[in-house]
Amino acid sequence: MDLKQKLDILADAAKYDVSCSSSGSTRSNRGGVGNAAVSGICHSWSDDGRCVSLLKILFTNYCIYDCVYCINRASNDVQRATFTPEEVAKLTISFYRRNYIEGLFLSSAIIKNPDYTMEKLLQTVHLLRNVHNFNGYIHLKAIPGADPRLIYRTGLLVDRMSVNIELPSSEGLKKLAPQKDKQSILKPMGFIRTHIQGNQEERKMFRQAPTFVPAGQSTQLIVGATPEPDFQVLRLTESLYNNFSLKRVYYSAYVPVNTSSLLPVVAQPPLLREHRLYQADWLLRFYGFSANELLNERHPNFDLDFDPKEDWALRNLYHFPVEINKADYEMLLRVPGLGIKSALKIISARRETALDFDDLKKIGVILKRAIYFITCKGKYYGGLVFNEEFMRQRLGQSNRQLKWQQLPLFD
Amino acid sequence: MIYFLYDGSFDGLLTAIYEAFYSPIPPTQIVTHDNFIPNLFSEERHITTDLEKSEKVYKAIKEKISSTALKNIYHAYLSELTQIEIWIYQYLKLGFKLGVRIDNRVSDEIVMKIHHAERKVSFENHRLKGLLRFQLLKNQVYYAPIEPDHNILSLLAPHFARRMADQNWLIHDLKRGLAAVYSLESSNTQKWSLFSLDKSLQIQFAEDEELFQDLWKTFFKTVSIEERTNLKLQKQHMPVRYWKYMVEKN
Repeated sequence: MDLKQKLDILADAAKYDVSCSSSGSTRSNRGGVGNAAVSGICHSWSDDGRCVSLLKILFTNYCIYDCVYCINRASNDVQRATFTPEEVAKLTISFYRRNYIEGLFLSSAIIKNPDYTMEKLLQTVHLLRNVHNFNGYIHLKAIPGADPRLIYRTGLLVDRMSVNIELPSSEGLKKLAPQKDKQSILKPMGFIRTHIQGNQEERKMFRQAPTFVPAGQSTQLIVGATPEPDFQVLRLTESLYNNFSLKRVYYSAYVPVNTSSLLPVVAQPPLLREHRLYQADWLLRFYGFSANELLNERHPNFDLDFDPKEDWALRNLYHFPVEINKADYEMLLRVPGLGIKSALKIISARRETALDFDDLKKIGVILKRAIYFITCKGKYYGGLVFNEEFMRQRLGQSNRQLKWQQLPLFD
Repeated sequence: MIYFLYDGSFDGLLTAIYEAFYSPIPPTQIVTHDNFIPNLFSEERHITTDLEKSEKVYKAIKEKISSTALKNIYHAYLSELTQIEIWIYQYLKLGFKLGVRIDNRVSDEIVMKIHHAERKVSFENHRLKGLLRFQLLKNQVYYAPIEPDHNILSLLAPHFARRMADQNWLIHDLKRGLAAVYSLESSNTQKWSLFSLDKSLQIQFAEDEELFQDLWKTFFKTVSIEERTNLKLQKQHMPVRYWKYMVEKN
């Protein structure tokens, strides 16, 4: 089989992994090729609008597992291929030198057993880093069940590691991935976290100490393959951030690739739901929200017509309206239509002069959303009444989502 | 209406600004010789670039305003937006009055203009760090043609000098006839420099080049998930005007 065919098969098998980011590492170029940009760089966008920053491939798609949702399951009749470490290194470096990519994202199906697979991955990154002197970004999958010593040695060479949870509940795993369980996934995650933290301490004392997974670890959850509500997904996310110090949790709208009586039938992948989860994810990480504020048992799913922050604000109107010239940073962040950049700008601009609605517009605040929740120099321009129903209607009108919904005639 | 005409270099602009601060009647416009269109009321004054004067202005901005302000005006200058020079002059006038606080005045029209131009330049610079494509030529030089909206070559070059440190490369701005060249043989500590380079350059690919372009196209096509196709989103992130030199989009 030639290289092109292998690339075709093994990129196709890897594309359902949504992680693409190349940020968070400051690896510098030590006399070879490549470095990491801390902000991350996107190099292209594929036809589905997702960014391409890493050469995302599987090492092999021969798999001993038979997970129902996965395209590479053992019982599927698909073309199989395996790279050699040399081939992966050659592709990565040739692409990198032409500035096609920011680095390598290497994952793998489980061939023979977890240890053997992990060894192959380690061999590949060793070749890239130590033989070819490649200093670009590398994201590697840790294989659950592999020897911790192998995972440790790999961690010293790569920028980011991830273990995919895929299904957000134990029941889901039991049903769709009977050969995996929660413990076998969380164990390597905990192991990596412990060593990242240890490494950070070590590097405070010895600046030259080698880095261990400097860009942190991430995971992926499939949304819509099993019946968990958003609340459960978001609570899981929150505990992953708090207990495992993850850098990112990715959500992947379920795309049916196999047919099975255990899998739901979907006409379209739930893309809007995925989008709402990402919005909520940002609120958890950067805006000081907690999962319990955004959703609860009585309100377990996100409203598809309003973004999570709007939805929270509308249910908690007693916090509003907020005076732009007085509110503290934490409160500004909670106003719909205000982001981190505009909140910071407001803080520095109002030191010079008191702001009014015109100034906010210039700063980049999305007034059509914020206007219902703020006052400027004591003035409120949101409308004559201040209640939830009125705002839902007005905000709903400006949210494009409503455009393609049939309006009810008689209510 | 007094028009200050300068040679288009950054030092030239700083010299013009120096002259503007010391002339009894401030300029209505500051433009390059090439962009100047005389009209009935225009009175021209030719500014000769003077490195001593430009150095003075450079240092004064850094010390009396801030290095951020210096970066802002350099990026604004690179934006090549029409009339940006006179806005730079206004911004500096305000800056010498307010000092480091100037960049907090985000609702001031002058500050907004400069910040806007700065953002455009920084954004395109970041964008092209990703979208630029090298092709390996027969003489073992990696060659990248670009046609950016703004004159960002001097910002791109240091990035690639750090990153592609062990290969000879050349980034060619076809719109401006400029090139950044990085040579391993260079004896200077800074291994890249800017040259003017003719637009009609003949190039010849190295042997393997087409093979790797083909592999990349294969990967690019395969990695997209068909059920999620969203061409509008793709174009939003990667405007069509950049596609011309992108291997996967040709």
